Amino acid sequence: MRGARPLAAAVALAALVGASALLPEFQALQWTLWAIDGLLALSLTLVWGRAGIFSFGQAAFFGVGGYAYGIAAIDLIDRTGETFSAVAIAVAAAAAFAGLLGYFMFYGNVGDVYVAIITLATTLVLLTVMSSTAGPQYHVGRAQLGGYNGMTGIPPLTYGRPGQLATPLSNRQLLAMWVVVAALVALGLHALSGRPFGRVVAAMRANEERTLLLGYDVRRVKLAVFVLGGAIAGLAGAGYAAWGLFVNPVVFGLQQAALVVIWVLVGGRTSLLGAFVGAAAVQQLSASLGGGQGQATPLILGGVLIAVVLLVPSGLVPAVGGLARRLLPALRQPPAPQISPRRAAAPPGLRGGATLEAVDVAKRFGGLAAVDGVTLSFPATGVTCLIGPNGAGKSTLFALLTGRERPNAGRILLDGEDVTRASAHRRARRGLGVKLQVPSIYVDLTTLENLWLAAYAEARDPGRAAERALALLGWLGIAARAHDLAGTLSHGEQQWLEIGMALGGSPRVVLLDEPTAGMSREETARTAELVAELGRHASVVVVEHDMEFVRRLDVPVTMLHEGRVFARGSLAELRADERVLDIYLGRREHAGA
Amino acid sequence: MHPDQLASLALTLLTTVALLVVISVGLAVIFGMMRIINLAHGEFLMLGAFATLSGVRAGLSLWLAMPVAALVVGAFGLVVERLLIRRLYGRLADTMLATWGLSLILVQAVVLLYGPATNGIPTPLSSFELGRYSVSEYSLVLIGAGLLLPTLVWLVLTRTRYGVMARAATQLPEMAAAVGVNTSRMNMWSFAFGSALAGAGGALLAPLAGVVPSMGQAYIARAFMTVIVGGPQVITGTVAASGVLGGIEHAVSYLTTPFLGQGALLFAAVVLLRVLPRGLTGRRR
Repeated sequence: MRGARPLAAAVALAALVGASALLPEFQALQWTLWAIDGLLALSLTLVWGRAGIFSFGQAAFFGVGGYAYGIAAIDLIDRTGETFSAVAIAVAAAAAFAGLLGYFMFYGNVGDVYVAIITLATTLVLLTVMSSTAGPQYHVGRAQLGGYNGMTGIPPLTYGRPGQLATPLSNRQLLAMWVVVAALVALGLHALSGRPFGRVVAAMRANEERTLLLGYDVRRVKLAVFVLGGAIAGLAGAGYAAWGLFVNPVVFGLQQAALVVIWVLVGGRTSLLGAFVGAAAVQQLSASLGGGQGQATPLILGGVLIAVVLLVPSGLVPAVGGLARRLLPALRQPPAPQISPRRAAAPPGLRGGATLEAVDVAKRFGGLAAVDGVTLSFPATGVTCLIGPNGAGKSTLFALLTGRERPNAGRILLDGEDVTRASAHRRARRGLGVKLQVPSIYVDLTTLENLWLAAYAEARDPGRAAERALALLGWLGIAARAHDLAGTLSHGEQQWLEIGMALGGSPRVVLLDEPTAGMSREETARTAELVAELGRHASVVVVEHDMEFVRRLDVPVTMLHEGRVFARGSLAELRADERVLDIYLGRREHAGA
Repeated sequence: MHPDQLASLALTLLTTVALLVVISVGLAVIFGMMRIINLAHGEFLMLGAFATLSGVRAGLSLWLAMPVAALVVGAFGLVVERLLIRRLYGRLADTMLATWGLSLILVQAVVLLYGPATNGIPTPLSSFELGRYSVSEYSLVLIGAGLLLPTLVWLVLTRTRYGVMARAATQLPEMAAAVGVNTSRMNMWSFAFGSALAGAGGALLAPLAGVVPSMGQAYIARAFMTVIVGGPQVITGTVAASGVLGGIEHAVSYLTTPFLGQGALLFAAVVLLRVLPRGLTGRRR
């Protein structure tokens, strides 16, 4: 099936290009515009549908591409005799603009809503700025920006060499070229979704925090996708300017920005084909219903937007016939040989433990000191349990150790290195594996794919990651569930899977937050075995409520109370301590536990 | 620099800041109280301006037409909340998309009703001399409104039953519901209140700018940036962000041209969010 698809695509492409030779001239022009619009929609499908970045700014990159093409083409055509270099400049300009904007947004860690607003505001500010460039003083070389009326006299796509007579492309050549370009971009994005980078993008969209904790630099992945999306939108913008020989600030208007979103919504947010279907369908609809003056077009577009959101949020194409292929089935094709259910005794691939230290760390939330000067040192191998009543500061300390929160004071040392300011993914790279309290797995991916993503973060090689994923699967004893979606696993199996994911990057320190939550007695016992085995090869810190589990592990226990270390010792020693009993264990003892 | 030049500069600076407060405060209330972004905010401003225009044409004095316009837009917001927003609670992205659709519809509906041309509203005020400089009296009205509207929001949020309950519903929705606050009703009033403030903003813009169906998009970029730079605290956030961004816009406009001032505002906002991702009043990480 995987081999047949490119073939089918090539046949369809050849048919489209062939058909373009038969189209009447007027329709050839119309189809060209649809292909260009489809490219613009595709850029949003990538950024929003695939990567989950809610960008309203694709119109801005489109417009930047259009203006950049216009300026470059007007100024260069006499020297170079062609305008394809202007297309390249337009793509580069749009990508650079996206890179600048994306850097501030993603490296500032601004929220999703803010990304939407910043991109939209950027588009609108460009509208204001470009509309104000009417005077003759606003020019780049010979290219007049033209204010609200726009830039005119933009050369069409032209090939030739310096000094020779330049030849513009005919309308049919233009159509064939843009159909091929659009198809190549779509195929490229499709291929990318099967590559490790595409899988990481999909994982990021499904569960950003887990992806970060696995050691992927989510900010960089987002920036890369955003720049790629900006480049594709810029390419479409150059195509538009070269098609209409004209570009004006309307490309930065609200309606244009909304159009892109509507195309993608109608076509289906994740569907590459849907981008083209949505663009062509909506443009055809608004042209035929909008009448001569186009007076009713915004009414229809607005109505479509509201109706799609209220009635078919997943988009028309997937809703109608599953035409849109979702990303996730594509993801289900990693190398998957027969799974041998052999049980490994040792956790695979660990490279030895490291120490983890907290030195006088403190974290305040408003007036509340959740962690109030904790100094703790965890040895390079062996298991340590962190216990304490609710509100003792366990979760906050855990968040400080994993890097999800930054302390107000104090230092955190991993293998003797200061990681206090290092972000979660950096700590993961330095050998910190984390399992969160609430199961945080990719429910729409298979068990094996979950483990593959965890292993790839460190292995950076698809084959080795697959090997490691298989080995982990065997050690965990859930090989039978390898190809089941993780969301269908039992609660206990999900917890084991997440322990396995914490081990994907060959960590030297493993932090487990309530690994037995929701488990049966047998599952708890099995988990205790796994954790004990793990403790022989790495430093393991377990936050746990379940005293039965802690007793079974029989390891040093640290008790927190009111944000401080209250007592340390074996569980038996702690149980003998009257003060501990008073605070915490005592109540449970008397309650008959 | 002459004292009169200094005074004139200070006045125009205050006017720029007040304008940001006036166009943002409605959006800030809706975002702060409901965590919803109303992408039709620009069109709510526009409706306020057109309602003022209609009031003046119907013979009302400008000063009466303005508060009436605010109430009209508030009532419109209430209807929008019941028909549209309420169905999309918890679906942030979809709320933005739906209000965006609404904004397209509103622009075109107003074009059909009033035509696409620009309508002017004459102000009953003229200008006065400040040394060698002429200052419009209306800018004083704007500065007054920039003080009055946040004060009004503060009074409503702290001195009314609605305000206390709405703030409770914002902070801990489950807890508020458990002690008997009807959170859905609170959201309805919050949206209506924010809409009325947007209407008031539009009414105040009416004599200043041309009243035209597409006027919303000239203001919303600045309003959005002001609100997100302001952060979660509605009043202090809006005022502080207006001060910072308005100061930057004014300085760059003064030194270069007004549209570069707007570009500078955006750039400053994006850079500020890189440093303070939760806005000026957000909790530091």
